[in-house]
Amino acid sequence: MLEIKNLHVEVEEDGTKILKGVNMKINDGEIHAIMGPNGSGKSTLAKVVAGHEAYKVTGGDILFEGESILELDPDERAHLGLFLAFQYPVEVPGVTNKTLLREAYNTIAKERGREELDPLEFEDYINDRLDIVEMKTEFLDRSINAGFSGGEKKRNEIFQMAVLDPRISFLDETDSGLDIDALKVVAKGINHLAGEDNAVCLVTHYQRILDYIVPDKVHVMLDGKIVKSGDKDLAVKLEDKGYDWLTDLASVSANGEQQ
Amino acid sequence: MSIKKTKESFLPDLLSRETSLNGKSTIIEKLRLEAQEDVKQTSFPGRKDENWRFISLRDLYSESYIPASQVDYTLPDISEYFIPESEHARLVFINGAFSSDHSSTTDLPDEVTIGNIADIVEDDGHFLEDHLNKYGDFEDDIFSSFNTAMLQDGAFIHVPEGVKVDTPVQFLYIQTDAAEPYFTTSRCLVLADEKAEITLVEDHVGLAENKYFSVPVVEINLERDAYVKHTKIQRDSKQALHIARTAAHLKQHANYESYTITLGAKLSRNEPRITQREEEVEFTVDGLVLLDGDQVSDTHSVMDHRFSHCESHQLHKCVINGKSHSVFNGKIFVRKDAQKIDSFQENRNLLLSRKGLVNTKPQLEIFADDVVCTHGATIGQLDEHEVFYLKSRGLNEHQARELLTYAFALETIENITVDSVQELLVDEVHNYTSRTLEKQPVS
Repeated sequence: MLEIKNLHVEVEEDGTKILKGVNMKINDGEIHAIMGPNGSGKSTLAKVVAGHEAYKVTGGDILFEGESILELDPDERAHLGLFLAFQYPVEVPGVTNKTLLREAYNTIAKERGREELDPLEFEDYINDRLDIVEMKTEFLDRSINAGFSGGEKKRNEIFQMAVLDPRISFLDETDSGLDIDALKVVAKGINHLAGEDNAVCLVTHYQRILDYIVPDKVHVMLDGKIVKSGDKDLAVKLEDKGYDWLTDLASVSANGEQQ
Repeated sequence: MSIKKTKESFLPDLLSRETSLNGKSTIIEKLRLEAQEDVKQTSFPGRKDENWRFISLRDLYSESYIPASQVDYTLPDISEYFIPESEHARLVFINGAFSSDHSSTTDLPDEVTIGNIADIVEDDGHFLEDHLNKYGDFEDDIFSSFNTAMLQDGAFIHVPEGVKVDTPVQFLYIQTDAAEPYFTTSRCLVLADEKAEITLVEDHVGLAENKYFSVPVVEINLERDAYVKHTKIQRDSKQALHIARTAAHLKQHANYESYTITLGAKLSRNEPRITQREEEVEFTVDGLVLLDGDQVSDTHSVMDHRFSHCESHQLHKCVINGKSHSVFNGKIFVRKDAQKIDSFQENRNLLLSRKGLVNTKPQLEIFADDVVCTHGATIGQLDEHEVFYLKSRGLNEHQARELLTYAFALETIENITVDSVQELLVDEVHNYTSRTLEKQPVS
């Protein structure tokens, strides 16, 4: 479904190189996890896939269903079915969750040739989706993330994912800042939403969420490159041994040599 | 007749052109004559005056104007401007003159006195004499003197003790198209006695895109426990010059809630002045300004806390597009011994274009020591993080910017309780955002 090929990215403003040749492939029905320490570039990767304008792709490509999406605006990528759950969801005072989601849902529906929903139909649809993340109806009429607790914001991201029904979702540190109960709710929601014709990519610092969501593949990112990929056991190993045992791999790869 | 257009002779000259004010009332005649003298004695403001330094009035005084009473017009159907809630609680003025044909007040309780000042003064001149021109305490202000010097027709409402009026009252000021620029004034006097309640919609409408000079003055008195909600909508012609004053006096436990919405006029100036007359009062002076093209809007407000225990609120929001220019000067006075004042003031400006201009000047003069006065002023563009967030959810650039602009503006109008007015303003905000964003090249 999604293929990232030798992706090089720098910060638009000052040219700082963040991603230095990332390769990965995510197929339908898969759950991937990208792990790595702070500053390794994993959040940048998620944002670049979503089309964030603060970053410049200097090499490589991102293919969705075989087509490059690099020239597409963030909204066009969303129309294709890409979704990013933000690490720091933005507060938008004055715009209610419901207003945004109806406009977003119908815009995407139109682009994907699905039926648009009128306010009443949408009400039914959205109420049904609330249960997935165990959120109350009042949530819908509140301004997007304004005054939400950290946990509520993260849960709201998963709720938006549930409503927009994307093909592939990058969840950027959705687990950070959650207490164990909230983490369970969020994980349950993600498991519920993960299906055969969509895919999920968890970007995370900790192994903790992987106790509740079992990934098909785990990638370790260090210094802008994926230095190791494996199955769920790799996450356990990282939890035990940290990232240090992999840093040698990173320095080798940074010199452009074969891993 | 050729008139030498200097700014000092500008207003006296206009007054000399208005010859139709041969009122029958000696009370009004007296006020008028005094005010005519004031107009002659007071100097016309210029950029050297601190209160006028941000804007130029050249566009105003370099034009010649005929009195509105001399304008020939054919009136189109104006019923689209009638607020349905006020179907029979409405006074209409056309080019400053009261129109009894378009007015209706049958929905209001019998105890309420409502009508045209010129008519009321004939019935009960002494009552009016005690109140008219008693609350508009704009010292040395040539424009309010000019208004008084032109006094004739005007809106009057008196809500006596204990009467709570549920029906909102609309004062509709229609300005017609005209072959030449004209000048007009309007006067409004609102008296809310003890425990009286009233909701007012002051609505200035320009029917065409012609040039005229309008000077409305509104005086409101709130006795103890009175509650007045006042929404002013200014949707004058985009060529109009609108220089307005609004004064409210509050006694104990009174609550004055006002929302001023500025949409029209090439140049508009609002001067709300709220004066606390006794302890323990509450007031709100919120505003929303939507500007485009070369519009200029200036709000100079005064919140005068003279006694202890007052809660005041001022949220003034401006959206600036094109080459438009917004000015805010919010004065908060807290007099000596006026303790326990809780005053909130915020001016937020959203700049949608590179060529827009904002001047903002919160001004606090506090002579008491046990007060909480928060104030702030911000000037900003749409937040790119917010735009990206909305786009990542599938909204295009235009939808995202429109939604954010709309959300910015909405905060100031969501407390307006007259449904149709709120709907009208929501539509106005939508029209404004789609119109202005249409013109923006998406970067």
